[in-house]
Amino acid sequence: MKTRALEFQDSLLSLLAITIVLFFIFPLYWGFSTSLRNPLDTFTVTGIGIPWLNFSPTLNNWVSQLEIVEMRNAVVNSVVVSFSTSLLTLCLGVPAAYALARFRFKKISNKDLTVWFLSQRILPPVATVIPFYLTLQFLNLLDTRTGLILINTTFTLPFAVVIMRQAFVDLPVELEEACLMDGANYFTTFSKIALPLCAPALSATSLIIFAFTWNELLFSLVISSKNAITIPMFISGSFESRGVQFWFLSVRTMIAMSIPILIALLAQRYIVRGLTLGAVKG
Amino acid sequence: MAEVKLRNIKKSFDEVEVIHGVDLEIKDQEFVVFVGPSGCGKSTLLRMIAGLEDITAGEIYIGDTYVNDLHPADRGAAMVFQSYALYPHMSVRENIGFGLKLNKVPKAEIQRKVAEAAKILKIEELLDRRPGQLSGGQRQRVAIGRTIVREPSVFLFDEPLSNLDAALRVQMRMELEKLHANLKTTMIYVTHDQVEAMTMADRIFILNDGYVEQVGTPLELYRKPANIFVAGFIGSPKMNFLSVKVLQIEGQQITLQLPGEDQMQLQRENINFQAGDILTLGIRPEHFELEQTKGCSLSATVDIIERLGNETYIYANDASDNLLTVVGDGELDVSNNEKIKIYFTTDHCHLFGRDDQSIQ
Repeated sequence: MKTRALEFQDSLLSLLAITIVLFFIFPLYWGFSTSLRNPLDTFTVTGIGIPWLNFSPTLNNWVSQLEIVEMRNAVVNSVVVSFSTSLLTLCLGVPAAYALARFRFKKISNKDLTVWFLSQRILPPVATVIPFYLTLQFLNLLDTRTGLILINTTFTLPFAVVIMRQAFVDLPVELEEACLMDGANYFTTFSKIALPLCAPALSATSLIIFAFTWNELLFSLVISSKNAITIPMFISGSFESRGVQFWFLSVRTMIAMSIPILIALLAQRYIVRGLTLGAVKG
Repeated sequence: MAEVKLRNIKKSFDEVEVIHGVDLEIKDQEFVVFVGPSGCGKSTLLRMIAGLEDITAGEIYIGDTYVNDLHPADRGAAMVFQSYALYPHMSVRENIGFGLKLNKVPKAEIQRKVAEAAKILKIEELLDRRPGQLSGGQRQRVAIGRTIVREPSVFLFDEPLSNLDAALRVQMRMELEKLHANLKTTMIYVTHDQVEAMTMADRIFILNDGYVEQVGTPLELYRKPANIFVAGFIGSPKMNFLSVKVLQIEGQQITLQLPGEDQMQLQRENINFQAGDILTLGIRPEHFELEQTKGCSLSATVDIIERLGNETYIYANDASDNLLTVVGDGELDVSNNEKIKIYFTTDHCHLFGRDDQSIQ
């Protein structure tokens, strides 16, 4: 039976957790609330801006924003670039990670290769902006989604390799050996055993890559000018001659956030640990 | 059905050689056990036969086929892993049939074979479960089922019982023996447990530090260990070893000074030592007697008594403070710190030279 002191401690912890959650959710709520207000209400709203109670909500901001062609293009660009980058990164990175985890390279040791992959993330992206700009100019890929996908992939690839390598290393090697003894080649072993068992790590990695690419601003600012504008870049352009239009900005932010949140909620059920339980002695 | 031959097999990990030229021949339908302490290279040897480990030097034949460069699946061997290695994302049925499916065996045929294996192993009602829902013993059966359906010419077992509890281990041991009798296939079994080796093997290969120390039937190894390592490894409790001094050699008659006052005489043919040399005398605990018999005797002081019911283990210190183990019957009347006389006959004495080899 729980003692009183423990119960008190539990409720104190819950209170703390609720406070922290409120602290982080409030800006989100405020943004949503602002997007439903008339521009006039932006700063003059009373209370904590509860719709119908403190002001009468309107969808005018949303309608006017969704009517902008550039806005819609930016969403499409972001979706295409982020999905393609995730897919390309996984296609290239996951086999590399598997090779690093399971095979022994002779000329350069596996450890050195892994560190080399990791070292790509140490370089500050801004240092590579000019070389990338020149490369894309040479390839005629400036202001294209393809250009953005290529650049983003070079930055997310090391991340995918390092995370997935660890996931494969953690997988009991006997499973793959048993599969080899059962008559599979290395590719079948990878696709039928290793990959399905690493599904949780795989979905986590793709989510992180997706979020990383979705939020990426620096490269889009440099590479894109008209055709390949992404959502973060579009939001950063919300500053107009009249100053920041918070009512529009909040609509754009809400739209920008909604898609990754939706994907994360959908992918959540795949990120469940414990799929490997019972494989080996448990 | 196949013989397995290893010719001068060596294995190095980086610079370190762990198996130093092993030659062995396993007959068709034989149940062979590789036994040895941890790190002796027994599992590595098995994995080289399976094709899971590169061979640094030497040749392996399964049947008449030279298999060094063959893919694991093409060697006709199937393996049961220590950790069972069941695919957690597949049902028991899929686990057992997976190898057949990979080899594009028709579905009906797979179903028939899986059902047959399940019947042999009595796991018919478990076929639709996942490995995570099975107990250790059941997982072990599924792992064995996975090998049976492939009808291999050699079964390889890598410490398959070490994760089971004691009672289940005894049961599975008997089932494996029955399986061997039914399938009549060559089986190679790796274990560090000498009881498993003694009970199941047709022949035992004792490995130590990457060398084969001795090969023989269980009783051969028990009765005539070739060296101190084998003598100490086979048998439980462990054989007692005493340092003895050679006092006198007359033809084949050797007189030895035992710890304390006692002396004894032994007959040996190959005398490669001189008077004054220190040799090692080995006597198994079960060959010591506390009641006076003909033969030799030793004085000792009882240190610890362990009563197991059916028998009693007595740990006693001899005159040079060696700890001796004596196995006596359950009702033995001894007490701590009692001075006792330990009797034994020369038939049960093993003599080892300074090179640790047995002197016959």
